[in-house]
Amino acid sequence: MKFRRSLLAFASALSVTALIGAAPASAASIKIGLLEDISGDLALLGKPKLNGSQLAVEEINKAGGIMGRQIELIHLDPQGDNARYQEFARRLVNKDKVDVLIGGITSASREAIRPIMNRTDTLYIYTNQYEGGVCDAGMISNGAVPEQQFSTMIPFMVEKFGKKVYVIAADYNFGQISAEWNRKIVKDLGGTVVGEEFIPLGVSQFAQTIQNIQKAKPDWILTINVGAAQDSFFEQAAAAKLNLPMGSSIKVMLGFEHKRFAPPALNKMHAVANWFEEIDTPEAEAFKKRWHAKFPNEMYINDMGYNAYTAVYQYKMLVEAAKSTKLADIRKVIATGKACVEAPEGQVCIDPKSQHTSHRMRLIAVDEKHAVKVLKDYGVIQPYWLSEIGCDLTKKNDKKQYTPTDLPKK
Amino acid sequence: MFKLLNGPQTLGNGRAFWICFFLVLIIALAYPFFADSYDVGNFAYFLIWVFMALGLCLMWGYGGMLSFGQTFFFGIAGYSYGVLAINLGGGGMTFVALGLAILLAALSALILGYFMIWGRVGGVFFGIVTLSATLVLAFFVGQTAGPEWRVGEARLNGYNGMKGMEPLNIPWFGGESIYFEGSSLYYLAIALILLVYLGLRVLLNSRFGNVIVAIREDPQRAELLGYDVRKYQLITFVIGSALAGLSGALYTSWGQFITPSSIGLPAAAMPIVWVAFSGRGDITATLIGTFLILVAFQTITVHSQQAALILMGAMLLATVMLAPQGFVIGVARSIGRLVKRRGQAPG
Amino acid sequence: MMGVINMAHGEFIMCGAYVTVGLVHGGLPLPLAQLCGVIAAGLVGVLVEMTIVRRFYKRPLDSLLATWGLSLVVTQGMLILVGSSLAGIGTPEGSFKVGEYSFSTYRLVLFGGAIAALAVIYFIFMRTRFGVHARATMQNPQMAQALGVKVGRVYAISFGIGAALAGFCGALYAPTMTLIPTMGATFIVESFVTVVVGGANVLLGTAPAGALLAIIRTSLNAWEGQIIGQIGMLIAVILIIRILPEGVSGFLTRRQR
Repeated sequence: MKFRRSLLAFASALSVTALIGAAPASAASIKIGLLEDISGDLALLGKPKLNGSQLAVEEINKAGGIMGRQIELIHLDPQGDNARYQEFARRLVNKDKVDVLIGGITSASREAIRPIMNRTDTLYIYTNQYEGGVCDAGMISNGAVPEQQFSTMIPFMVEKFGKKVYVIAADYNFGQISAEWNRKIVKDLGGTVVGEEFIPLGVSQFAQTIQNIQKAKPDWILTINVGAAQDSFFEQAAAAKLNLPMGSSIKVMLGFEHKRFAPPALNKMHAVANWFEEIDTPEAEAFKKRWHAKFPNEMYINDMGYNAYTAVYQYKMLVEAAKSTKLADIRKVIATGKACVEAPEGQVCIDPKSQHTSHRMRLIAVDEKHAVKVLKDYGVIQPYWLSEIGCDLTKKNDKKQYTPTDLPKK
Repeated sequence: MFKLLNGPQTLGNGRAFWICFFLVLIIALAYPFFADSYDVGNFAYFLIWVFMALGLCLMWGYGGMLSFGQTFFFGIAGYSYGVLAINLGGGGMTFVALGLAILLAALSALILGYFMIWGRVGGVFFGIVTLSATLVLAFFVGQTAGPEWRVGEARLNGYNGMKGMEPLNIPWFGGESIYFEGSSLYYLAIALILLVYLGLRVLLNSRFGNVIVAIREDPQRAELLGYDVRKYQLITFVIGSALAGLSGALYTSWGQFITPSSIGLPAAAMPIVWVAFSGRGDITATLIGTFLILVAFQTITVHSQQAALILMGAMLLATVMLAPQGFVIGVARSIGRLVKRRGQAPG
Repeated sequence: MMGVINMAHGEFIMCGAYVTVGLVHGGLPLPLAQLCGVIAAGLVGVLVEMTIVRRFYKRPLDSLLATWGLSLVVTQGMLILVGSSLAGIGTPEGSFKVGEYSFSTYRLVLFGGAIAALAVIYFIFMRTRFGVHARATMQNPQMAQALGVKVGRVYAISFGIGAALAGFCGALYAPTMTLIPTMGATFIVESFVTVVVGGANVLLGTAPAGALLAIIRTSLNAWEGQIIGQIGMLIAVILIIRILPEGVSGFLTRRQR
């Protein structure tokens, strides 16, 4: 049954591609280049991103396109390989001559794309939540960043559960920088980090980690483990009856672990994000209905897919306000500080100094039956950190990524 | 010296081969004049990888040493180029960085090779030790995200990759630098390929080449004949690995970016796949085959979405099942047979 | 053991795990589903041997290429047909305490399963008629054939047993892991390395080598964290090969003589 449905989905996916390919590619169309993994390790997360972009493009084209011009979506699949990201970014920019490039999933893929985009004057939109800090005039980031996620969630966890936190983080840039953020915020709140463990990507056995946690006796755990293999932590911890409260900036809204694992593996998980499928405002409900009508097989609309959807609308707004697809003209619109769209989560705006996006942040909790409840609505939170440390893209293009321990020279 | 271009260790020694060779060379040199500039740059990018494959072909096909460590030296040189180019500054110094990077790769090959060859590590174990070393390097670089991992101005930057080095360039009159990308990189790559390819032909058809093939066939006998087997093996290993280093440094220059995933699995298996696909027995086959397979894989990936990996897998499977010596050698042999048969046919 | 480098081994693990989870979702009790997973992996193994691997016994390096191609096809095929992830089934209930630590009972099951598998293998290869044939074939296929052993069948069944073991591993781990089509790849480095360190003999080599590496890795994990554990394990591999060129089994057999 499931097999048949998937076959159908595959067939329909093929026909959709065929349709897009067959659409009259008139000289007047606006070309969007898209780089999303739909094979390889990250296919699980890349597929919803592709779907989000497709949905937005379809809606906009039906409603008359951007300034009367239809959108042509050119998607390539880099298969999770950074070298392919480089090849394909060049191909899209130099051969297909796209007007904008959207995509990239890991921070490594984003960093692979950026030097290539810096040598062109094509806009690049990165649609993931990430560790923050990229100060680059050629890039817009529309995902959430640490100041929007950690400075909301960690105080909540400390207040509700206690001051002792144990961190398990993926051992690469994202995990390490996230852990830096946590250290700083926990310290400011008078709490202690009782243990910090960095786990190499691809590790799937956590017996030792679970013992370490039991020894350290934390009040709650910060879980910023990444990837399907590391997600095995939840089932193993649940089986060992660890049963501690958990907080995360990436669980539930990205990898929909509460749908993929049998309860109660994700019990007591807390997360802050700009989008969860469980948000039930009228705008969100309408968006969810449109999505599920187009992609009935999708298990969950995750944060990345939602951002990918919003990104196309942000681009539409920018082009229509600038009356041009040129990067310089678009940046003039951003500089006014009024580059806002009405997204399903609420209004989101692009910050002129950092070119990151403001978001309406919400905190959710998962219960033992894996039902998700919105506990707190923080309202709109600005991406303030970059401008605070001295990144001002209206004056100077740094083209660099900063971290809390690697700040710009004053 | 030029007599050594032809010999028993290389396929394609006749007049017909060299006519073809010059034809291909002329087409390759003329290509940028009538092709899209993107395609030229893309071809240059493929050529960058070919050095690594040629190096492996030398070690594996001729020397009988299956090294899983091509990406180890690729990574060493790639990162070295980045570190040196950032610290020495751009301009003409990028070529100094290129040279030093390859030298560093060769030096590390010398050390690792000494350890293995003098330790009499052979057969499959050679592959495993090199693979282990490669994975260690990939893991190590992967966890260098913190700001404490920096060499001078250059941050290794862990899994997200090192960035900010200038591509190869030389200052030119009038203050403008010539950057090696697009067609200039293409010509640079063609020149290097020519140099390496012809150089390897000479080397392989010389006494040295005969000795390493003899060692591959029977190391004991070679030793009894008075050759220091270890020395020959070590030199082969160093040359092969240095070629991987050349690929690595050029790759970093091409994308101004390198990450540990260019070192670890599955990247480490790729050169082996290319060489095995092409036919490890001959460097001409490796040269052509690697180029073809790179073009084919990219084309497949661009045009067939999710089915791409299935097609690639099926292609590999079909090759080993139908053309055991390798695709290019297989094709070349059947063409050769065809030509011969026609020649024998009366009238 | 059979002169084949199997890059698709991880895919047999995946096969075992997927069949197990699929059947549990279909309503079968876990142990029964696991049994089916093992059998399915074994049958697929026999099939693969007869269609592909059979041609490569004299060409181990080509087998690497062929099985890698196969693994690509299978992984991506699963991704397209079944989707990018399968919902988990949850680890069976139950935990016990040792001092202040609590452990999942299922970990004991894992441990028991591994021992049982070793025992079964030992029995098959040392105590049955098939085992005698198999060992004879591995040592000298021509001679065995001359003595009337159906060499082809022996190879097919041995390969099937290997695949079934991988499937067993997948079936056991299925309730504790995330199921994605590329899950086999997470095992490949370790199993590859273990086999090499172990040497040619499964019982004398692979099992102690696996245990040795696991001990090195776990203790380094506990001491310095996972990254050192992983690097340490690989360095240990290099050192072991340097000291024991024939692997652990070579060392042990020499000691026996």
